[in-house]
Amino acid sequence: MGQKLADILNECLERMLKGESTEACLKAYPEEAPELEPLLKTSLVLIQTSSAIQPAPEFKAKVHSRLQAMFYARQEKVERGARIPIWRRKWALAMTAILGFLLIGVGTVAASAYALPDEPLYPVKLAEEQVRLTLAFSDMDKAKLHIQFAERRAVEIAGMACQGKGDKISVLTAQLANHLGQVYKAEKLYEITEKGTKAPAAASAPPEAVEDLKMMLSNSREKSLYVLENALGKTPQATKPGLQQAIEDIRKDYDETLSKVRGGLSQ
Amino acid sequence: MSIERDVVSRAIKGDGEAFAQLYEEHFDRIYRYVYLKVGNQAEAEDLTQEVFVKALEAIGSYKWRNSPFASWLFRIAHNRVVDYFRKQGKVEKVVLEDDITLVSESNPALTAERQLEIEELINKVKKLPPAQREVISLRFGAELSTAEVAKVLGKNTGTVKALQYNAIVALRKMLAK
Repeated sequence: MGQKLADILNECLERMLKGESTEACLKAYPEEAPELEPLLKTSLVLIQTSSAIQPAPEFKAKVHSRLQAMFYARQEKVERGARIPIWRRKWALAMTAILGFLLIGVGTVAASAYALPDEPLYPVKLAEEQVRLTLAFSDMDKAKLHIQFAERRAVEIAGMACQGKGDKISVLTAQLANHLGQVYKAEKLYEITEKGTKAPAAASAPPEAVEDLKMMLSNSREKSLYVLENALGKTPQATKPGLQQAIEDIRKDYDETLSKVRGGLSQ
Repeated sequence: MSIERDVVSRAIKGDGEAFAQLYEEHFDRIYRYVYLKVGNQAEAEDLTQEVFVKALEAIGSYKWRNSPFASWLFRIAHNRVVDYFRKQGKVEKVVLEDDITLVSESNPALTAERQLEIEELINKVKKLPPAQREVISLRFGAELSTAEVAKVLGKNTGTVKALQYNAIVALRKMLAK
């Protein structure tokens, strides 16, 4: 079979499907006509017979009604979902996660606290952190949790570095920085003063609570850097530069966060 | 923006009227394609309904990517038919039901004659190798162009044309017997 004949047959089919006759097509290709003619006749049978297949009108109407019902049910669901306030949806999500944890087992969740990023329980650890953040009552509680989680990331960086898994270090360092960033961003921890600077929000964060936070942040800095510097001696040579860079970055991140918190408080 | 693209965009955003328009435009062709593949009215109806239910559920995730909506829809139909045959243990039914609805109901003799033709044709098409059968169903049942068939099947147009040619040659021989 020549590809040329397959192309000609296809072109004739396109024309026939648009309503042209087989004769018109054969005239356009006189050289191929003897071979083409029986194929076009077969094609015509195919076109005519296929077009006779039609769905029963009552079936078509039945499917239409079913789809319409499905469509309206979906619309209603979307509208109902939109009416539920975001905070209620977040709580519902958190409660679902808690139920999930209870089903998985409290032991599993507890064991996940020590999981490293390449271990099966690590996703459980991150989910547990999210639930704790969602359930935190105040921004101060959230800020404290972010400090705890920053420390966790430091321990994970040390663990991965000791195993020579340098590729994870930069990702975890970025996550640690993000946690520290969230400490300062906690919305009600500070309020904007008339001069545009940040000062503690008296209503939600009493001075002693902010002092506690400062202390916690400072301790977290010491602990994280101790764990990371300690890991340097156990890290394979190839991974050391990455870990050293991470230590420098993390030290800067902690110092920056501490200075922002102190700066905010000094207003 | 083309008319089809506009209708599809509205359907994606949840416009029921736009989805109904797409339904009207493609329903018969989907049914014909499925019927040619399974050769049984009840199964063809079930599968066609499933194709549109699936399309309604998935239309929110449809991305234009410069391919016509029909290619996406027939891809769903193709996958659904493949699933159907897999569940059947790869044994395709050859027996045809005799209550197929035809275009010309006003002339009973013609209807009966046409019905026999359809049955005969489907039985012949069923004897083709799967790839050729798929191309014939999409070209003549769904009335897709070779380019659209190529998109649905993930093949190039040259291959589709070759499969179409071989299928028509084989059908001609079968019909001549």
